[in-house]
Amino acid sequence: MSMHSFVARFSSSAADPLSLSLQSRNATQADDEDAGIPIELWGSQAGFGSLASQGGHSFAVPKVPNPAEFLRMHTDEHEGKIKIQHGTTCLAFRFKGGVIVAVDSRASAGSYIASGTVKKVLEINKYLLGTMAGGGADCQYWETYLGIQCRLHELRNGERMSVAAASKYLANLVYGYKGMGLSMATMICGWDKSGPAVYYVDSDGTRMKGDVFSVGSGSTFAYGVLDQGYKWDLSDEEAQELGRRSIYAAGHRDAYTGNTVNLYHVRENGWEFINNYDISKLHYEGPGGITSEGYGYSVRTAEQTSRSAENDAMQEVEGDLV
Amino acid sequence: MAQQRSFNPYTENGGTILAIAGADFAVVAGDTRQTEGYSIQTRYAPKVFRLTDKAVLAVNGFAADGNMFVKKVKQRLEWYKHAHSKDMPLQSIARLIQTMLYAKRFFPYYVYNILGGIDEQGKGAVYSFDPVGSYERETCRAAGAAQSLVQPFLDNQIYFKNQTGEHPTHLPLPHVLQLVTDSFTGATERHIEVGDGLEMFVILARGRGSQELEGVAGIREVTTSDERERVFVINRDLKRD
Amino acid sequence: MELNGGSVVAMVGKNCVAIASDLRLGNQALTVATNFEKVFPVTDRIYLGLPGLATDVATLRERFRYRVNMYTIKEEREIEPETFAHLVSSTLYEKRFGPYFIEPVVAGLTSPERGSKPFIAATDLIGCLNFAKDFVVCGTASSKLFGVAEGLWEPDLEPDELFETISQTLLNAVDRDAFSGWGAIVHVITPEKVVTRTLKGRMD
Repeated sequence: MSMHSFVARFSSSAADPLSLSLQSRNATQADDEDAGIPIELWGSQAGFGSLASQGGHSFAVPKVPNPAEFLRMHTDEHEGKIKIQHGTTCLAFRFKGGVIVAVDSRASAGSYIASGTVKKVLEINKYLLGTMAGGGADCQYWETYLGIQCRLHELRNGERMSVAAASKYLANLVYGYKGMGLSMATMICGWDKSGPAVYYVDSDGTRMKGDVFSVGSGSTFAYGVLDQGYKWDLSDEEAQELGRRSIYAAGHRDAYTGNTVNLYHVRENGWEFINNYDISKLHYEGPGGITSEGYGYSVRTAEQTSRSAENDAMQEVEGDLV
Repeated sequence: MAQQRSFNPYTENGGTILAIAGADFAVVAGDTRQTEGYSIQTRYAPKVFRLTDKAVLAVNGFAADGNMFVKKVKQRLEWYKHAHSKDMPLQSIARLIQTMLYAKRFFPYYVYNILGGIDEQGKGAVYSFDPVGSYERETCRAAGAAQSLVQPFLDNQIYFKNQTGEHPTHLPLPHVLQLVTDSFTGATERHIEVGDGLEMFVILARGRGSQELEGVAGIREVTTSDERERVFVINRDLKRD
Repeated sequence: MELNGGSVVAMVGKNCVAIASDLRLGNQALTVATNFEKVFPVTDRIYLGLPGLATDVATLRERFRYRVNMYTIKEEREIEPETFAHLVSSTLYEKRFGPYFIEPVVAGLTSPERGSKPFIAATDLIGCLNFAKDFVVCGTASSKLFGVAEGLWEPDLEPDELFETISQTLLNAVDRDAFSGWGAIVHVITPEKVVTRTLKGRMD
């Protein structure tokens, strides 16, 4: 039995994910792969599905009765082996000066911190930003694809794609793969004809427009700070400080969030990258370097503690006995 | 009770790879041991492959997927060369690897890739990937069985993390090679799946002299074209127990 | 063991030992406290590190305090580090089929009569002893600690150099572990004194 028929028996190509059940075990599929090399793989057209034909994407799928279950079994949701890197805390809120997008930069695989320099804000194009939470590859790949489609929209229609349309495109796209194991929770942020807009889109098919969102394992910590400081009338500096401070709070308390904060501000003419802040440095020194106060409460409370003197005395006695 | 026949196409073959980007060079290294469980399948199974004179790919995880993936990448690069009469630039190879990995999102290649080489501006570059295609450009990355042993050591020695005081922005090549060797000897000591041999690829940018590599034991050049970037391979022994 | 997080490392130097731990107490992903010490003095010359489940840290701390006090009363002398390590081992093995979720680390110097020799040991959660000559590591960041320690440690380090080495080992390793960190504390034990320093580490 040759390697090719072995491969053919255990894998198939799903051009349309919804018609998986209609796939037949056709050993000749293997021959097709060698003989007729698809035109999409030549040169620079490759990768994102052939743009010429509207055929959409074709993904290899294992020929098992339940492919979704297979994937779940072998990736880390089920403590299988393939550890896909997960994203952690992102937030976005809109206010009178546009949209503030703040994210952390940690990627963890189990308890191992795989990277502290992950870029979780994806620059879809000059006026649209997307955040990354869940599976990094899913976010990166589909938001790049979204960028391509936005550009095509601009060329075909002579005007920019609205944030609502872009988010809807993405939401409908991932809905087609619902139940297959994609993991993606993103906020599409931009400023279009109707003003600043933030849409939350995830791989369950949810799409929600809103003013304030925070996503990820540390989102509850970020919401705590964000909700108490949020107003529509914030100034640009206040809004940036709020975004930064919220991610710091999540980074400090959540084990899966941390390293650095990436801060972006979306204005009418496009987004601006404000800065990258080290969360530990924010704890000890604050955002402005040595001059401003550190965010960490242990830094701000200095040596004051709620421990009573009585307890301290007891500790000393303990020392003598031992 | 009905018997469920499950299909497990994956296994782990051990080993560790790492890559470091310098100012005008890149180093990509991997041990050569291949294991399955507590057995050693072979003491020499290369995990680091030269793609072009500017790019070297290291693959780790499930060796069968790794070897097949490298073959497919090399094939796509060959087609690109025929179609465009030039080698694919490093950042495009990185994006190509993402789309190739993502095409198998629902039946992934169980491979952790690290791509190292020289970018279009002549600077060293390292790109690291997860099995389904998420990627990032970095200065230094370790992957594989002993990644949790090697990466924090490199954080301290390459990025000077947790060290106060002055430190250089760029490290010289002989120092980097020494760090790579030390990382692997340390990993070999404390991890059973690492050992036997070490293979280091060094890619030098166009016009960069190779004096520092003179006299390095066991070095050989594998550059194909004689125009620009140069690629060298250095082999070392590691403990075989 | 991953419920509360935390890690400990101990190293041997020239006529000195050092033991260090992080300060985090967590509840899975949530960090609850950043001042949870896991290294306790047993005698003036022996320190015990207890990484693992926080409730067992407190319980074992008290059990060892009791047993060492009884030893001191009965023997009319201080316990030696190697004897204490065996005491740790047997205490853990008593719970062989319902263990404490701790992997203790012992670091100390033998008594002056026996030459003030450095001593370190670690056990697994049911008491299997490991008498290392270089360093021992335990906790959620153990594999990271192995890697950095293997790279940085060398024999015959003076107390100040040992402090630097163990600090760098701990800080860089816990920076790669999601469940350890949020501060660190280092004890360097020499025949004359014990120097305890708190390190400024990453707070994320």
